[in-house]
Amino acid sequence: MSEVQPIRSTRFRAEREADWRALEALVKRVETQGSHRLSFEESRALAELYRKAATSLSVARDISLDQNLLIYLESLVARAFLSVYAPQESLSGVIGRFFGGSASAAVRRSGMAILMAFLALALGGWLAAMLFAQDPAWFYTFVPGGLAGDRGPGASTETLRAGLFSTEANLLGQLGAFAAYLFSHNTRVALFSFALGVFACVPSLLLTLYNGLILGAFWGLYADRGLGVELFGWLSIHGVTELSALALAAAGGFRLGLAILFPGGMTRKDSLRAASKDAVKLALVASLMLLVAGLLEGFGRQLVTDTTLRITIGWGIGALWLAWFMLAGRRAR
Amino acid sequence: MARTETPARIARRLESSRRWFSLVPPEGVPIRFEIAGLAARFGAQLLDILITVVIMAAIIIVLAFLPFDIEPVVTSLAAILLLMIRAPYYILTELFWNGQTIGKRATGLRVLGADGRGLTTHAVVARNLMKEVEIFMPGTLLLASGGLGLFWNLVLTLWIAVVLIVPLANRKRQRLGDLIANTYVMVGPKSVLLPDLSSSTPTDAFDFTPAQLEHYGRFELQTLESLLRTETTTQGSGERRRESLIQVAAQIRRKIGYEAAVPDSRVEEFLHAFYTAQRAFLEQKRIFGDVRDDKHHRADSPFNHQASNHQASNHQASNHQASHKGRT
Repeated sequence: MSEVQPIRSTRFRAEREADWRALEALVKRVETQGSHRLSFEESRALAELYRKAATSLSVARDISLDQNLLIYLESLVARAFLSVYAPQESLSGVIGRFFGGSASAAVRRSGMAILMAFLALALGGWLAAMLFAQDPAWFYTFVPGGLAGDRGPGASTETLRAGLFSTEANLLGQLGAFAAYLFSHNTRVALFSFALGVFACVPSLLLTLYNGLILGAFWGLYADRGLGVELFGWLSIHGVTELSALALAAAGGFRLGLAILFPGGMTRKDSLRAASKDAVKLALVASLMLLVAGLLEGFGRQLVTDTTLRITIGWGIGALWLAWFMLAGRRAR
Repeated sequence: MARTETPARIARRLESSRRWFSLVPPEGVPIRFEIAGLAARFGAQLLDILITVVIMAAIIIVLAFLPFDIEPVVTSLAAILLLMIRAPYYILTELFWNGQTIGKRATGLRVLGADGRGLTTHAVVARNLMKEVEIFMPGTLLLASGGLGLFWNLVLTLWIAVVLIVPLANRKRQRLGDLIANTYVMVGPKSVLLPDLSSSTPTDAFDFTPAQLEHYGRFELQTLESLLRTETTTQGSGERRRESLIQVAAQIRRKIGYEAAVPDSRVEEFLHAFYTAQRAFLEQKRIFGDVRDDKHHRADSPFNHQASNHQASNHQASNHQASHKGRT
């Protein structure tokens, strides 16, 4: 036995090792420099060598008992897979797609859930206004003390009016107001009504209803003092955006909850995952709207004290949101 | 006779205690990835938090030099800045660096889409938005927990418990965000290809009969492989390696009944030759559907089915083929 042929798996390795080494070099470059640095030929070679290596791995698992070779191929194919299937996104592409259609399409698809959220808000508001008309003491039941401040049934009409038209001249005071706003009541409500929607919609529904109750109680109080229109203007300038944001966040929660409640033909896990695609976009839109509402409340409401102008700005911006939701990305579909 | 745990079985148990998952890419060849441990993920998270906090602090310091008095609003300003730095930081790094934040890079971890088609923008955004709800909100509340009432402290405790239990309870260590986005966090693989042991063998020195090769299986072969691959750096460890090679060679010769004497100087040559012959023999058997996972393969036949899934299915596939041929 002077000339023995190398065993099968050794020959297998000898025939393919050059390809593996080439692939390893390419993968290393992608890992350190990113795939956009490869030339056209190199990217094509990467994809081709990856498939060859995957085939090698499949064969090696069957015919080879060389542990080092198997471990090497496993990791090489894994790394090549990661290089080949890396997300090929650009920042402008992601942002462009979000604003150019995917977000508005998600909003359009969630029409029912959004309607549900607005109905819950309106129901809460109507309920609280009715109850307040019967007995002003209901105000304290609905409105938490911190939120009410000195605005309550006990306050004089003049105090209430002054609250609506206060002007903070100091820029930094406005910044502070803006900052405080972002972590204020409504942002928390929006966040929770989105995140808790998973529990079969119930917490979201309750939170939205509750927010409606607070709103209704204020409305009842101010309308009682003949300040209805002024309150409407005060609320409109940021409230159109803010309440819509609240409704969208709750609608996102509803989408998740509905997916759990009525999964249809899918498993609940799959159904939740499918619904999360729209729900996440709703959450992003809602947080963007809350940001805008914060700016409007922190700066706009202090700078603009004319009720008509407040209403115009508020509803004008509301119309812009609506236009974005209804029109963006329609042609593409 | 009570079955004791064989070394091969212990090795297999240790292997399975590291958590793996197979991902099937469009090419159809399953690829194995190792699930990241919670300690490594915690470390990565800590580093990322540190980075975002440092950026936030830097911005605050710059703002402090401007002619404004930011002192009354500094806490809420810090909270907003942190949120506005944090969310884009995680989302953009994971999206553009293929599932790696700076912290994950440092600890060698990576986020991976479970469906085998790469990470999508949606998956990255979803898992990082959930991170706000899962980690940062309870974290911030925890810092402020002294000022909360009993009820909210209970809620907070429950919240943290749920967030911790979810990744601990599922085998793949997915937190809630991972479950919704359908992603895993895995350990980045490293690849080192060592020379093939069989090819460096002088061919005419030692001969083995098929009967002598019947004794061992895959596990023993690969144990021998790792022994032969042991690298020695110091004089002392080289000496120890030589001694263990001599012992192993003696053991093998006794077991397989190899009569001819092997001088101590040629012991490594002998083991290489035996390794090559044994590997050729076992690979040949394997091609014909006789998978020998370790030396107990005959006495302990149900064992083959417990072998790593892949090998078991292989075995069944070849059995199936054999019976198929029998019929035709």
